[in-house]
Amino acid sequence: MGILIRDILEDSVKKFADIKAVKWLKKKDILERSYSELMDNVIAIRKSLLAEGFKGKHISLIGTSSVEWIESYLAIITGNTVAVPLDAGLPAEDLIDLINRSDSEALFLSPKNISLLEGILAECPKLRKVWLLQEEEPDSLYEKTASLAGLKAASANSSTDADRPAPDDVATIIFTSGTTGKSKGVMLTQDNLAANVLSVDYTTEPGSILLSVLPIHHAFCLVMDWLKGFSLGTTICINDSLLHMVKNMGVFKPQVMLMVPMMIETIYKRLASVDSAIPKKAVADNVFGGNLKIIFTGGAHLDPYYIGEFAEYGVEVLEGYGMSECSPVISSNTPETHKAGSIGKPLPNAEIKFENGEILVKGSSVMKGYYQMPEETAETLKDGWLHTGDKGYMDEDGFLFINGRVKNLIILSNGENISPEEIENKLALDALVGEVIVTGEDNGLAARIYPDQDVVAAKGLDEEAIKTALQAFIDQYNKKQPTYRQITGLIIRKNPFIRSSTKKIKRQEALIDEPLPMA
Amino acid sequence: MTQEMQFKTIVAQYCEVKPDEMNNDMRFREDLGFSSLDFMSFLGELEDTFDIELEEEDALKVLTVGEALELLERLQ
Repeated sequence: MGILIRDILEDSVKKFADIKAVKWLKKKDILERSYSELMDNVIAIRKSLLAEGFKGKHISLIGTSSVEWIESYLAIITGNTVAVPLDAGLPAEDLIDLINRSDSEALFLSPKNISLLEGILAECPKLRKVWLLQEEEPDSLYEKTASLAGLKAASANSSTDADRPAPDDVATIIFTSGTTGKSKGVMLTQDNLAANVLSVDYTTEPGSILLSVLPIHHAFCLVMDWLKGFSLGTTICINDSLLHMVKNMGVFKPQVMLMVPMMIETIYKRLASVDSAIPKKAVADNVFGGNLKIIFTGGAHLDPYYIGEFAEYGVEVLEGYGMSECSPVISSNTPETHKAGSIGKPLPNAEIKFENGEILVKGSSVMKGYYQMPEETAETLKDGWLHTGDKGYMDEDGFLFINGRVKNLIILSNGENISPEEIENKLALDALVGEVIVTGEDNGLAARIYPDQDVVAAKGLDEEAIKTALQAFIDQYNKKQPTYRQITGLIIRKNPFIRSSTKKIKRQEALIDEPLPMA
Repeated sequence: MTQEMQFKTIVAQYCEVKPDEMNNDMRFREDLGFSSLDFMSFLGELEDTFDIELEEEDALKVLTVGEALELLERLQ
């Protein structure tokens, strides 16, 4: 028998009705919403989605963290509808492709991303309705478009609430980078999500403050900040921008935060730059807000050095491991059970085995499959075992360690998984680019390009002219990409790449034979 | 301390290059080794230190030390 996210949420509303569920900033004011107020809005949106005929349909969301975003998301997944959270930072053509490929029939769109609307309406034929995540009614020039406030208000005319979904129903589709260069929609069921929330061994007092700084469309943020946070009755505070992460720690004074390793590395630079004569407690109060005790981290490898350094400032860093396909947590260190350098012990609902060194996972949080990608699903899920693409081992105490990758994805320290092929396909569009390989180096992406010799000869380009032209092309490419997909290193090769007998470029050799120059 | 030196001292927190060795053509990501998040955090520090408000979209277009200094001067 499975559990629903709706069960977890309803239970929290019963227990924590008057506790603040969400706090956020509007200019310098802190606004807030209690668990019972949040639930009223969730039910109102859910009823209206049913009344508008979206039962069983897929609904996308585009926007950064906001109370309106999470209420809409909860309304979708606690009814009979499927939520498709998308990365608002992606180029318009990618978002349009994902709306179409996920068969979304409706969209919740942040007003900040309103510039996408025209293109989406023109190129997403299945889309029947767009709701802007705002109180004001939208410009009447846009067809099919209304406001979230209008959607909520319409529920007053509807007494029928959506039926409870079944535990095996798909609750959400989360897109993740694919090794073939095409992102894959991970289908997670109600039970997948609920089992992950309940299996992570962490508890805290209701009303504890959690500051959410990760992108909300990521499984780690969505499930562990929001769904897990709600299950415990925490007050989840929204970081309005990564520019203000440290300032907002001072504003909200969180006790617990989830971060990717890159955030820990950045904060450490600020800690380390302070005069060593100043007591560490004072530095920690200044940087972390004074109450921070625990940082959970995952999404990429963390150098264990930081665990010891942060402990000196009174903050415990606990590393975990997961992937969207596992809803997402597979293993985690906990305040009671931890070992530096490991990724913790597997969750009680995750069975682990190894095949040629690769970590395989089975259990109630393993996805149903990739949406409309039977071949990719069959490659990844074999007899119920999920092939993670990571190599690892378990020590004699039951702690899991990672020591390599099987698949081609680049994992940046901000937790983003980058498919090099996806970017290479875009870079190869420039006539001067003969061959290109994208690699992850120095915490960013480097493009290694062998110029097309015919173009070089035809235009009579010298070394400097080639460099200028390629850098200009990359600057143009970067402008259209979210920061994590930007190219920050350019190596112009003097020789073609070394290829295997099947004519494929040998990626590992590309790193060695003409290395990245030192910064 | 001049404003420019104060600015470069903040930059130096995130990289190995000393303030007096920085020049305006240096690119934050490629030459100074900033991660994308280092750059965001740096922009937040500029806001707090110089009491300015940055438009995130504009600020993220900045590539070099000189461009960031220009932006700072424009907003004051």
